[in-house]
Amino acid sequence: NINPCVQIIIHLLSVISQNSAGQFFSSGHTNNWAVLVCTSRFWFNYRHVANTLSVYRSVKRLGIPDSHIVLMLADDMACNHRNPKPATVFSHKNMELNVYGDDVEVDYRGYEVTVENFLRVLTGRLPPSTPRSKRLLSDDRSNILIYLTGHGGNGFLKFQDSEEISNVELADAFEQMWQKRRYNELLFIIDTCQGASMYERFYSPNIMALASSQVGEDSLSHQPDLAIGVHLMDRYTFYMLEFLEDIHPASKTNMNDLFKVCPKSQCVSTPGHRTDLFLRDPGSVLITDFFGSVRKVELTMDAINLTDPINPVNGEEQKEVYSYADQLPVSEIIHQKPKQKDWHPPDGFILGLWTLILLVFFKTYGIKHLKHIF
Amino acid sequence: ENITCTKNYLSIYLDFWFPPTFLHVWRLDFPSCTSQGGQRFLVKMAAPLTLLLIVAVTIRAALFRSSLAELIAERVEVVSPITAWKRVVEGLALLDLGVSPYSGDVFHETPLIIYMFHFLVDYAEITFMLADVITAVALYMAVKEYNKQVFRKQKFALEADRYPMDSLELIRSPKEMYYVPLKVAMFYLLNPFTILSCVAKSTCGLNNAVLALFFLSTIKRNVLLSAIFLCLATYQSIYPITLCAPAMLYFMQRQYIPVNFRRVSFWWFIVQYLFMYLGSLFVLICLSFFLLGSWDYLPSVYGFILSVPDLTPNIGLFWYFFAEMFEHFRLFFLCVFQINVFFYTIPLSIKLKEHPVFLIFMQLAVISIFKSYPTVGDVALYLAFLPVWSHLHRFLRNIFLVSCVLLACSALFPVLWHLWIYAGSANSNFYYAITLLFNVAQILLVSDYFYAFLRREHHLTNGLYLKRKDGSEATLILK
Repeated sequence: NINPCVQIIIHLLSVISQNSAGQFFSSGHTNNWAVLVCTSRFWFNYRHVANTLSVYRSVKRLGIPDSHIVLMLADDMACNHRNPKPATVFSHKNMELNVYGDDVEVDYRGYEVTVENFLRVLTGRLPPSTPRSKRLLSDDRSNILIYLTGHGGNGFLKFQDSEEISNVELADAFEQMWQKRRYNELLFIIDTCQGASMYERFYSPNIMALASSQVGEDSLSHQPDLAIGVHLMDRYTFYMLEFLEDIHPASKTNMNDLFKVCPKSQCVSTPGHRTDLFLRDPGSVLITDFFGSVRKVELTMDAINLTDPINPVNGEEQKEVYSYADQLPVSEIIHQKPKQKDWHPPDGFILGLWTLILLVFFKTYGIKHLKHIF
Repeated sequence: ENITCTKNYLSIYLDFWFPPTFLHVWRLDFPSCTSQGGQRFLVKMAAPLTLLLIVAVTIRAALFRSSLAELIAERVEVVSPITAWKRVVEGLALLDLGVSPYSGDVFHETPLIIYMFHFLVDYAEITFMLADVITAVALYMAVKEYNKQVFRKQKFALEADRYPMDSLELIRSPKEMYYVPLKVAMFYLLNPFTILSCVAKSTCGLNNAVLALFFLSTIKRNVLLSAIFLCLATYQSIYPITLCAPAMLYFMQRQYIPVNFRRVSFWWFIVQYLFMYLGSLFVLICLSFFLLGSWDYLPSVYGFILSVPDLTPNIGLFWYFFAEMFEHFRLFFLCVFQINVFFYTIPLSIKLKEHPVFLIFMQLAVISIFKSYPTVGDVALYLAFLPVWSHLHRFLRNIFLVSCVLLACSALFPVLWHLWIYAGSANSNFYYAITLLFNVAQILLVSDYFYAFLRREHHLTNGLYLKRKDGSEATLILK
């Protein structure tokens, strides 16, 4: 006897709630990581450090803790002796926003920001003495945000004014990460000149890439601050940050909105993106899947019984026993100390040698000839 | 008889200053006196020789116990990749671990050295001191015997009136030759080069001992022993094979076989000697195979000596050249350098076929200058022979220059090494310049002695004061 109008509304509501529930469980990640890299040094590259620190601020605000952020800054702008306002890095003119603050945790600083260290962080091949704060301890349920900024060109990104990383290297590093199951999904953002060239060569699944400019275009900086004397931010990151200011941990904004950030009228360069490697539809990917650390929590008021043991589906399932090929005689090394066998010359040799010596002796010094020699 | 002997020697001594009375005194019974005198020589000289041996052993023992031993053992002038004691120990350790010592570039000595030091590694210092003592005693006995033969030949030549009158002052007397064997032993034992080589426990000392025993057995006219010792020396480093020629020439001289290519006896003796030599070499190589059960010592020892892969600086000529050579030309220059060692044998044998012992000296010098990894131990061996030709001093022209250069170079070697390797203010050119200078000085020394020897021989046949056809004074040059 329910009004058909009300029936439709209830049906619509259930569909909507199912959608949100579906959306709630659709992404497969359980933790978030961020690798934020500024590759330029020198005072006039202030804006790159400010870029990276702004993204760091947003990412921290949205929930990713410092333990899950690897921040690499190639130079120290806050304590640079040319900084008229020491211990500050501003991202907006008129010094409105200090992105440096009191609780910045820089993991790789100064000359530690090298191509080798960056690739080692990504692939996890660090020496055993590396502290946890310098490691990317992601697993196959991690969504990683990788943000690079600096000076770049067609197919390369310059590190520290002395070396470069190429797009092929980067693609191979991501493939290594995929094969070692170091990420679930990866968002790659790059703000350099000709930034789109850096994501051209990716071939691993589940990577989405954004760049501030196409091949052949330069990314431009935003505004200079006359008190500090340098440009404070790059345009793409500036407008991306304005976009991120509206995001909060519960927002449902998706990637398609991020792609629209900074059109040509504002950015002068044409931002690009690449989604062909990504398995999900970008429209269903939330911004907070990468920029925030949203914990999926299901509240329930019921008691759940967990007493039933999990039975194997197939009773006869044989588990394959893996074993190493025996390369070292481990049992001999561990359990028994091998007897130190001294080498002895073979008996035949000793016999032969001394027989010969005796023969020569008697031939030369036959007893009766002994007198003539001496 | 003793009194007769001394009177003879005294009168001969006096007669040098009074030539007219020379000839009739000479004919007194000399041969019996020689043999008795030989006995007296032995008895009289045993004490100084023993004293010398004790002094030498003391110096070496003192240096062994001091901290200089490790310092000396790693100097590149004293040890080479072939002779280093460190490598012998490493090879033995590898063998104890069950690995062939010839795997890798560690050990380049022969298997017989492995066998010897397997039992003697704890007594290594005594072994090397003993080797030095054996070398000195063997050289002593050999030079004594050689002096006797020289004297006898001289006596026969005098009796046959082969020497012109004015060259009689070149004749050697027993009195001046009395101390020569002791001087030879002293030159060998107290030579700083030998002492350094012994303290560094370089196997060059063993090689020198074998060569000295070869020399002794050659002088004592024992063909089999001479072939065997030469074979041992060749087995250890390939170059003593050139000493076959002087050994054969010496034996042919003693057995009165004329050195003539058309005579069957000449070729027959050569065949005999080479058969003994090659036979014992074959036996040794097969025996070495049985020690370790494999042939990998052949490329490690002989391939290493011939193909010179290791270019560590030493006092030789190879390292600098081959360090900067293009790979394309390496084989060519390797052949050139190696042939250079063997090349002087035939011409020198032809020139010195009457004087095989001098040929041995020249060959030893040529080997130690031009071999691929020389050390100061090799230099010390032929320097020990110099007192045997001390009578040539009046014909030597460059002795001051040579001795100054040798001393200066020996002093500069460690200095420039330090400047190059540790201080970094010099480079390899500095060190190689000193190496070159050292070798040039050695070559000058050897060629000077060669000149002096030939000149003396020439004077003995042609008279001391040479005149040209028009009566003016002539000079001799070595062409």
